[in-house]
Amino acid sequence: MAGRAFVAGICLLCLAAAAPAPAAQALIGSVAPDFALKGVDGLNRRLSEYRGRVVLINFYARWAGDSRVEMPALDHLDATYRRAGLVVLGVSVDEDLDRAREFAIGMHVAYPVLLDGGPRIGSAYAIERMPMTVLIDRSGIVRFVKVGYERDDYRTFVAEIRALLRE
Amino acid sequence: MNRNRRSVSFPLRTGLLIGLLALFAQVRAAAPTPTPTPAPAPASAATPVPAATVAPAVPDAAPAPGAAFKTLDQEVQGVQKDVISLNKDLFVLEENLLFPANTQVAVYLSMDVGTFFALDSVTLKIDNKEVANYLYTAREVKALLKGGVQRLYLGNQKIGNHELVAFFVGKGPHGLDYRRGASITFNKGIGAKYLELKITDRVPKHQPEFVIKDWE
Repeated sequence: MAGRAFVAGICLLCLAAAAPAPAAQALIGSVAPDFALKGVDGLNRRLSEYRGRVVLINFYARWAGDSRVEMPALDHLDATYRRAGLVVLGVSVDEDLDRAREFAIGMHVAYPVLLDGGPRIGSAYAIERMPMTVLIDRSGIVRFVKVGYERDDYRTFVAEIRALLRE
Repeated sequence: MNRNRRSVSFPLRTGLLIGLLALFAQVRAAAPTPTPTPAPAPASAATPVPAATVAPAVPDAAPAPGAAFKTLDQEVQGVQKDVISLNKDLFVLEENLLFPANTQVAVYLSMDVGTFFALDSVTLKIDNKEVANYLYTAREVKALLKGGVQRLYLGNQKIGNHELVAFFVGKGPHGLDYRRGASITFNKGIGAKYLELKITDRVPKHQPEFVIKDWE
């Protein structure tokens, strides 16, 4: 009896781990929550001002190891698809703004990095784990959400971005 | 704070709009479809028609495809106009319901010249409670400098005296960080209250000036 319960528990755990983050995935199809944040470059940026372009928002934190791998990949995407109408925005959720700024500068990415100063905006996007990438179409609707980052995700991003740019 | 109010009011307005659109579509579907037959010829006994005008009005002639498209296009434009009009009415209705005149307080922001001050953000407090915090992008500042007026806050306040404090953050003369406050005590009467935050240049002193104007 105890063995069955144990197996059932393990199965449930596996299912929970395999399922996508429900709150973040629930954003798909809804209007992306608007925000205005100060960038590392000192300029303020508002999401709604990019309406008409495909926007990729990458929520990251200095302490999340995957972020260090993902940011150069996103920089490459930005360089490739910027002319076609893609906007990449990095949003740091680190509470320590000075360290967040240092980290962003150290990553040498060309796309704008915005400072949230804690998961204020991130909570509107139901962030559960870092990094999290959200793709927004030209009309401001969330079309794709990816929690975490693995090397194969780059291809997925390319396919999704291309599809959205073609629309 | 503003975002919260928007999140409450927007579904109400959207719901009403969808409902009205559905009703409108039903009415249109129920209405008899106009047949594309040409208008009957005028009664020849009453008004004699010259021969030249009678010739093209052949009763069996089918309407040109271009004309059908034109009619459809006109209908679509008509529906669009109706939707815009309905949306406007719903917006007014929503504001009247959520912010009745006897409690309504609105705060607007305008900028004049702006040579000595580059606006970054404004924080608004009423009775020591933060009611609005707005971060301005370069595009928004440009719009304000061109004469735009922004509604920074719309809310409800009880009748009586209230203190409004506004904090302006930005870059002052010589590009230095600048933070200034301005305050006013206003009396909320029975009617709606309108206040305006004005950022102007005080040229003789080479300094920006922050004024709160009470529109009676």
